[in-house]
Amino acid sequence: MKSYELYIDEYACWGCLACEAACKQEHVPRDGIRLIKVTEEWSHTTEGSLDFSFRVHVCRHCDDAPCIEACPVEAIIRREDGIIILKEEECSGCGACIDACPYDAIAFDAEQNMAQKCNLCYQRVDQDLLPACADNVCPAHCIYFGDPEEIRQRISAGAGIAEPVQSS
Amino acid sequence: MEFSYGNAAREMEVYGYDSVVKSHCRMCHGGCGVLVYVKDGRAVKVTGDPDCPINHGTLCPKGIASIQLAYHPDRLTYPVKRRGLKGSGEWERISWDEALETIAERILDYKERFGAESIVMGYGTGRDNEAAIYRFANLLGTPNVLTAGHFCYGPRIATSIITCGTNPIVDYENAPRCIMVWGNNIVISNPDEYKGENFSAALNKGAKLIAVDPRLTRIAARADVWLQLRPGTDAALALGMLHVIVNEDLYDEAFVRNHVYGWEPFVERVNEYPPDRVEAITWVPKEKIRQAARLFATTKPAAIQWGVAIEQQINCADNDRLLMALMGVTGNIDARGGQVLFQQPRIRNVGHFGAHRMLPDSQREKRLGGDRFRLAGNFSIINPKCVWDAILDEKPYPVKMLFFISSNPVMTRANARQVYQALEKVEFMAVSDFFLTPTAELADIVLPAATWLEMDYIGDFWKRHGYLLPRRKVIQVGECRSDHEMLNDLAHRVGQGEHWWDTFEQALDWILEPLRITWQEFQKMDYLRGEVTNQKYEVKGFSTPSRKFELYSTLLEQWGYDPLPQFREPLESPYSTPELYERFPYIVITGRRMPGFFHSENRQLPWMRELHRDPVVEIHPDAAAREGIREGDWIIIESPRGRVRQRAKLFPGIDPRVVSAEHAWWFPERNDSGHGWDESNINILTDNAYENCDPAMGATHIRTLLCRIYPENDTGGLL
Repeated sequence: MKSYELYIDEYACWGCLACEAACKQEHVPRDGIRLIKVTEEWSHTTEGSLDFSFRVHVCRHCDDAPCIEACPVEAIIRREDGIIILKEEECSGCGACIDACPYDAIAFDAEQNMAQKCNLCYQRVDQDLLPACADNVCPAHCIYFGDPEEIRQRISAGAGIAEPVQSS
Repeated sequence: MEFSYGNAAREMEVYGYDSVVKSHCRMCHGGCGVLVYVKDGRAVKVTGDPDCPINHGTLCPKGIASIQLAYHPDRLTYPVKRRGLKGSGEWERISWDEALETIAERILDYKERFGAESIVMGYGTGRDNEAAIYRFANLLGTPNVLTAGHFCYGPRIATSIITCGTNPIVDYENAPRCIMVWGNNIVISNPDEYKGENFSAALNKGAKLIAVDPRLTRIAARADVWLQLRPGTDAALALGMLHVIVNEDLYDEAFVRNHVYGWEPFVERVNEYPPDRVEAITWVPKEKIRQAARLFATTKPAAIQWGVAIEQQINCADNDRLLMALMGVTGNIDARGGQVLFQQPRIRNVGHFGAHRMLPDSQREKRLGGDRFRLAGNFSIINPKCVWDAILDEKPYPVKMLFFISSNPVMTRANARQVYQALEKVEFMAVSDFFLTPTAELADIVLPAATWLEMDYIGDFWKRHGYLLPRRKVIQVGECRSDHEMLNDLAHRVGQGEHWWDTFEQALDWILEPLRITWQEFQKMDYLRGEVTNQKYEVKGFSTPSRKFELYSTLLEQWGYDPLPQFREPLESPYSTPELYERFPYIVITGRRMPGFFHSENRQLPWMRELHRDPVVEIHPDAAAREGIREGDWIIIESPRGRVRQRAKLFPGIDPRVVSAEHAWWFPERNDSGHGWDESNINILTDNAYENCDPAMGATHIRTLLCRIYPENDTGGLL
């Protein structure tokens, strides 16, 4: 069974929020629920000057996922391909997974009293379609999906970056 | 299992869509190729078109949210006329026939009684409808078309035509080695030709990056050199960089010798701006100025990604001309990978379609402000205050009718209170738009405009990257009509029929005719592009009076202006008004771009509003502490002319003497007809006095002004 990973090269992220809109278009979650969320980050460079970048909060589908352990009703499961799914219909709304997630990547729908997170568009993936955010929507080409080893090779080769059309 | 980007065939199978239509998005000033999926007659999904050279399949949040715009429950889907008093919010449904007949009767009546010049047509950022609006106005005989052109894109067109013949565009497809991004946030804004994707790809290929911006954007953070200038001093900074380039002999000597007009007087002018002086003006350390100048001048090819921020200033035309001077003297003009003077396919272009030659000279002479803002006047552009004054004071003649097509001047033009007053007073106003905006609420008749999803058109018809892309109609919403079709119909009702067409598709055929193709043939293509060649000036010179690259503008001289670019201190600043600065101790910059919004648009689209719910003013943490302001507080921003409220965000990437406010905020969710137009609208604070405008272009200086800031609670409930 192939394993899958969603990898975001945050250095390249411009904070344009196209991934957030693409996710909304695919899943149409309730207003205020952002399964992928981009935030601003301030820090200092090694030279001491101010630095500004973006952080992308989305389920990492961790190898060692604390949310699975935290869930008292076993509503969060790992598939063989590594995709971790939160089954909303089984969620009790206790919020334990939200506290357990180190990436601030699980949202809470108070009206429906349930947690929601990125299920890596498994319905699309199972049909040979890329997750909505990773389907080349990003103008920085900083969202990668696929086999973890292949992603690392693509990044080190500078691939995943669309080649511009040559003028003639 | 194989994955591929933008797999339309598989999308169709999996989701059971009925069809997918290739088209061209128009949610901003430019356009991207898109795929629109359709099911049961409704557009249900928008994605990027992988075959489009502008976006290579990527998209921005606005483009994705197009469907929320098209099917928004508040959208106007039939013509209405106002029942009660202006601003009463009482509207009555009418037929297209009644709407257009009423507008036509008014046009003919005002033309008869007060002259065609008493009717002002207008558009905002333009929905690719610019050429049709100019055609209608010129054939009607009014020289008054009120657009954003005095301070947005129009200046780039006007100044580039008088300097080098056309607007030089960054040649992203041939990988510039150095990109200087000047007052522009191309990755989240609404750029004109190429989009963030092309810029991003050029950086990934290793281009050096220089950022000129008062704020630490992500572009500035990634830059090799970031020049954090005092807002409004762009011209001085450019002159300082030119000083370094000229005096260190870093310029392209052969280009200057053979192709530049006015080099010696230009050098004299540049020598008035040595780095010490420029540092004092701009607050940028002179070493950084030297570093940026050297990097830009010695890395080939290099290009400048410029934008609107430098145009909404009193130095508008000279800012543009100085950036072109930087492109020119470094030999990057019309160079591969530099800044190319692209050519369109040989169609009937916007100038031809706009029928400018049909406007009689006797009417052209009546252009409002034409004698004052002569660069603008020569490019059919007017300054907005001229129109408001002509309505309110009836000088030099009365303006009786306004017809705004996709424009919301109450939110987007300086001195919003005067704009509102003028719109309240004008005898008759028609508007074509998607929603009942604060501007539309003051109209007599409002027409339901079509979005890009609802029209056939030649996308990017007026852009300068040489591409034309078919925009194909996907859906019909209510009775909405494209502005082109509406004007084609109205033209027949006011006696212009012989210059228009039976259907607008025939107009598209007419535009394309020189290529010997029809719209039906074109709409089967992905795109067309004009021939790309470089250094065309070697053969035919530049398309200017001297056939040279005019650093010294013979046309500006002829029109009575300084032919050489200069820096003017903004009229309201720490240095020009020090006493005012004591009472208003911050420079407020206005109008930074936010993902999801396009000026006053999209506040009612849930996906976009969720990304940014409230108007936000950025303040340095030190300044916030001094003023007792905390993160998230609603605060008052007050200029000598008024005050508005926005929410504070502590933002370390800005000088503590500068704050950055958002523009064009209104609140469609409010049910009253004003929709909070004056509550957070930064143009309550801006000044539209003629003296506060670029003397040649009429660009209103709205980007920097003085203000004070304080927590809203301190007002004692005055707001």
